[in-house]
Amino acid sequence: MRLLRLITLRSLRARPFRSLLSGFAIALGVASILAIGITNRSALEAVTRVFEGTSGRADLIITSQEGGEQGIPETALSRVRTIRGAAAAVPLLEIKTILPDEAPESQIGLSFFGSTMGGLTLFGIDPLEDPLARAYTLVEGRFLEEGTGGYQVVLVETFAEEQELEVGDKLNVLTPDGVERFDIVGLMAKEGPGQVNNGAFGVVPLLAAQEVFGRLGELDQIDVLAEESASAESVDALRADLQARLGEDYAVTFPAAQGRRMAQMLGNYQIGLNFLSGIALFIGAFLIYNAFAMTVVERTREFGMLRTVGLTRTQVITQVLAEAAVLGLLGSLAGVLLGLAMSFGLSRLMEVMLNQEMRQLTLPVPTLITSVAVGVSVTLLAALLPATQAGRISPLEALRIQGRSQEGRLLRNAWKIGAGLLAMASVVLIANPFPFDVQFRLGSLTVFALFAGATLMIPASVQHWQQATRPLTRRLYGTSGSLGSGNLSRAKLRTTLTVAALMVGVAMILIVRTMTESFSGDLRTWIESYVGGDLFVASSLPMHARVGRHLESIPGVAVAAPVRYLEAEWRRPDGADEPVTFMAIDPVPHSQVTSFVFSESEADPEAAVARLAAGNSVFISSVLAEKNGLAVGDPIQLKTRGGWRPFVVAAVVVDFYNQGQVVQGSWTDLRRFFGAEDASAYLIRLTPGFEASQVRQAIEDTYGERDRLTVESNAELKARIFRLMDQAFSLFDVLAVIALLVASLGIFNTLTMNVLERTREIGMLRAIGMGGRQVLLMILSEAGQMGLIGGGLGLALGLVLSRIFFISMNAMSGYDLAFVLPLGGLVFGLVVALAVSHLAALLPARRATSIRILDAIHYE
Amino acid sequence: MPESARAPVLEARSLAKQYQLGEILVDALAGVDFSVQRGEFVAIMGPSGSGKSTLLHLLGGLDRPSSGDVLLSELRLSELSDAQATLARRRNIGFVFQFFNLLPTLTAEENITLPLLIDGKDPSDVADRLERLLALVGLADRRHHRPDQLSGGEQQRVALARALITEPLIVLADEPTGNLDTKTGNAIMELLRRSCDELSQTIIVVSHDPRASAHADRVVFLRDGAIVEQLDLRQLPGFSDRLGRIMSTLEGLEV
Repeated sequence: MRLLRLITLRSLRARPFRSLLSGFAIALGVASILAIGITNRSALEAVTRVFEGTSGRADLIITSQEGGEQGIPETALSRVRTIRGAAAAVPLLEIKTILPDEAPESQIGLSFFGSTMGGLTLFGIDPLEDPLARAYTLVEGRFLEEGTGGYQVVLVETFAEEQELEVGDKLNVLTPDGVERFDIVGLMAKEGPGQVNNGAFGVVPLLAAQEVFGRLGELDQIDVLAEESASAESVDALRADLQARLGEDYAVTFPAAQGRRMAQMLGNYQIGLNFLSGIALFIGAFLIYNAFAMTVVERTREFGMLRTVGLTRTQVITQVLAEAAVLGLLGSLAGVLLGLAMSFGLSRLMEVMLNQEMRQLTLPVPTLITSVAVGVSVTLLAALLPATQAGRISPLEALRIQGRSQEGRLLRNAWKIGAGLLAMASVVLIANPFPFDVQFRLGSLTVFALFAGATLMIPASVQHWQQATRPLTRRLYGTSGSLGSGNLSRAKLRTTLTVAALMVGVAMILIVRTMTESFSGDLRTWIESYVGGDLFVASSLPMHARVGRHLESIPGVAVAAPVRYLEAEWRRPDGADEPVTFMAIDPVPHSQVTSFVFSESEADPEAAVARLAAGNSVFISSVLAEKNGLAVGDPIQLKTRGGWRPFVVAAVVVDFYNQGQVVQGSWTDLRRFFGAEDASAYLIRLTPGFEASQVRQAIEDTYGERDRLTVESNAELKARIFRLMDQAFSLFDVLAVIALLVASLGIFNTLTMNVLERTREIGMLRAIGMGGRQVLLMILSEAGQMGLIGGGLGLALGLVLSRIFFISMNAMSGYDLAFVLPLGGLVFGLVVALAVSHLAALLPARRATSIRILDAIHYE
Repeated sequence: MPESARAPVLEARSLAKQYQLGEILVDALAGVDFSVQRGEFVAIMGPSGSGKSTLLHLLGGLDRPSSGDVLLSELRLSELSDAQATLARRRNIGFVFQFFNLLPTLTAEENITLPLLIDGKDPSDVADRLERLLALVGLADRRHHRPDQLSGGEQQRVALARALITEPLIVLADEPTGNLDTKTGNAIMELLRRSCDELSQTIIVVSHDPRASAHADRVVFLRDGAIVEQLDLRQLPGFSDRLGRIMSTLEGLEV
């Protein structure tokens, strides 16, 4: 133990810069994994919490089979209560309304899930039974009570604060019959159900809700709780039982299913982040290996001496690994702290994207332990090879004047392992042999394997690259340059490390650029057409045809095209039912305001629109088409008011709304089959010559208050959406830059070692007459060649990996994004590689030129 | 003299070593027979390339011979596994090299007790021995200094103390004065002599410097991998001059 302490700790302290760099490298890797892990879970939790707020404790949920906004008769409640196994049945009526004195929103709320419109959501509940299904946290006043006169309401405290309301005040609410007043009897925390509608939420007695909003005898949902001791199978059986007894008009579902759907929406972004955390860890491991390899070479004589004095091979290996363990532990602990800090930043970003407040999850101790364990393991793994090489140092090395690096057999055969890793990882990513969820975690491991594999391929190929670039080197750096270029094969290990560092950095830049440009390219095209027209009009109230007429009466408004979003269900070709958004449009005005983005194979857009207008047909998104193998002319089934109904696919369009789970249909079908006539939004095309801000003002002045309209110019809306997108993608860019910075530090280290080891040689060259400038050129040419090779390999690797990631993500998400070759990114990557390697070489090169000849020749 | 005292503590039998240098096979040592008695101080001399360093490496178990044997007090060094040879070095052989080879991160005292630490022993068990050695090499007041705070001669004295701490069967020194000036080098050689006389250590020194070898009991001359001459200095008056003359002859014959 004492020996370990003496040699290990002192040696770490003797090389503070390198120890810090290594520790930082591991810290960064661990921090990335932890931060991304925490944030992903927080986001998931926030998203499911939104849903759970409405049915936190229920085992089963009963709604209308028609879905959407159709209610169920209250009589069903007593029927459910008679069924054995249903310990409790809790009724719920969902009301969306607004405060009459509330000004319309000035901006349309944007989030990952689409737009949100404010307003107030009320749940009509049974005060005694409801807490069985939902957990309310009362912070002031009292909860609802049965039987007291008047209408009561319990609001969320944050909403009450915003509206400057207190317990004891009256809440004015807009109903179909006018304004109704409720007594505010209590306030709840913005937790659980208090999260619904981002806090603009309240609960009122069921009867009051039914009376005031004209829905006597109706419910929207029944939450069913099974017996306390019920197993999963008995809940399953209960579900089947309920469904059978209640009949076709009802849907008995598991709450979790919907939460999972929400989770899936976040999925793609999270996959990307997980990939990145894998890369971060690889870079950490890489730097550790780099540092330890250097240290072992430097301490060759020291290890030789220790062997002479009687340290066995195993003891030498243990020494090196002990150093790695210490670094790994300290680095991981630092990484945990760094990761917690990083997760704050990431969470804020996610909050913007979700438009939903995220609670910082209390960190479960197992996660922390796992992160530290991963950090230490990776460090040990990375240090294993240098440790073994240290063990192979023979005692004779103690007597040599200069350390010699141990290369040879391992380097020559490394490419076999590398090729194997590359092949395996590619197969996993392309063929997707595992189900979706596993991909999350496997993603980072696979990326790690990809980079490791590519690095292992370098030593074998360096020679070829070097020969290929030699003529260019001579041209650029002169004869001194060719001296430098030959050096590359001499220290194969060190060259490999430097080239690999550059390769990883450049590949990362390229991958991030490619993904970003391809994704945002397609997204932008879609958004450009989607947010078509000049103005976008929305309201917290349903907008009937009257509103459309109002809008068109405003001078400057040429066309006002309505759009309606409806949550519906469709039946997949494999028989399973899935939620889908039905987006209804009025084909004629719609095509006057904007256009569809048809997928390539559409020959005649006009005919497709005509087919849609004719009815009984839909446009499906390319995502749906891709995932389910559907094409134009295929039939699909949608659940309508009258039951399941066939529709024909009239066209396939690019539509990313709701992650692609969307079909577009005609206004007539909306009325006929879904019983809805109001619009969610109006898209407006201006008459030429009119200004957007002008017309917008006119609309707001004339109808803003009356119809509760929020008007935004599409330019502004698009700008905000693009900003949101850029923020989401910026994270990746930041990580890529960090990776490159860390890689460049490793390069600097390597080149410094190069010079140090060749001090005598350089001194000799100076002694026989080589000028200072020529020495500089020699070192720079070495760096330049490594930059060229590293950059070239990085571009190749980056392109291959981007392609693989692309195929993988398309397969997982159903997107069919076009692969954009980022020519700019390619050039940028190469320039970066050359710049970084030259910059990193400057200081070592200067050191080389200032070596005093006599010192060098007498170097011990 | 009793039987045991006459048995050599170190013996080389038909020791040969060849190196592969690219495509050429080089004969570094060609069948050397050599033995050292307990308590002897032997110097091995020869011009550069004579194989003297190779011989020392083989005698110390740092390298394996191509053929022949090395026996350290009946232990066949040449046939030991790497782990066994390592143990032998740890407990039975002390080394002093030309370049100091101390751990730069340890103090003088820690460097001296290093072999014991490696063996898992507690240095405080040999506190007396440590004090005696520190006194012998004259570094008692420098024990807490690190190598970069010690002069070349002082570092070499630390190395010597380290070689002696385990009371080894033999002490091997490879050009111990090669990096030192005459006066300091001489001091080191005198210390080696004293450890032989006062501590009954067996010493083998490889050197090209005749003044260094003058402290030895016996000098062995190597050239081209073979022993060409031996001198028993205890029996020769004015041997230092003869040493010098022989060396110049040998060097003159060298191309």
